[in-house]
Amino acid sequence: MFPIANNVRAEREARGMTQSELGAAIGLTRQTVAAIEQRRYSPSLEAAFRIARLFDTTVDALFRWEE
Amino acid sequence: MSFRYKSALLSLVSMAVIYGWFFATLMWGHSTPLANVGRLILTVILLAAVQTVGHIVLAITSREKYRGMDERERGFDRRATSVGYYMLIAGALIAISTLHMGANGPNMGYAVLLAIVIAECTRQAVFLFLHHRAA
Repeated sequence: MFPIANNVRAEREARGMTQSELGAAIGLTRQTVAAIEQRRYSPSLEAAFRIARLFDTTVDALFRWEE
Repeated sequence: MSFRYKSALLSLVSMAVIYGWFFATLMWGHSTPLANVGRLILTVILLAAVQTVGHIVLAITSREKYRGMDERERGFDRRATSVGYYMLIAGALIAISTLHMGANGPNMGYAVLLAIVIAECTRQAVFLFLHHRAA
């Protein structure tokens, strides 16, 4: 498991989006969105900013370091 | 399974089977050099046809819309290409060494082709392994 935890699933579900829809909106595949949500993949800084921008929040609010 | 996973699996299986048949007939068959060249051309055409038709079928039947690789898949691809590159270098050196084992020009050419095929199969296999491990 990667050390970067996130609230992507909660934010996505709060907006009624599917993993495919989120992926399509930020240029990632559904599998990559699922991997981010399950902490099996740490997104690039660019992808993190894209997600934060889509959810109208900050990267800090979405991602945190958790060992 | 993502489109990329299925695509890599199709490429790996088709290359292994079609080039496997070519190299098997080359090693254990007793045919003329001209017949070998004919079989090589047939192999290339067959592989192109199988991959083209296979990818069209995959694109039509896949639930997900086709798009380019994303950053995670590009990471898998970079690592797979790196491993494939070392396989290619090793294969090329072995192919060159066949000259010292009495191989003639055409045989060394086929050894280089074998090295390319093994390197490409390795690349696809590593991509599939990384994809599968991360699933």
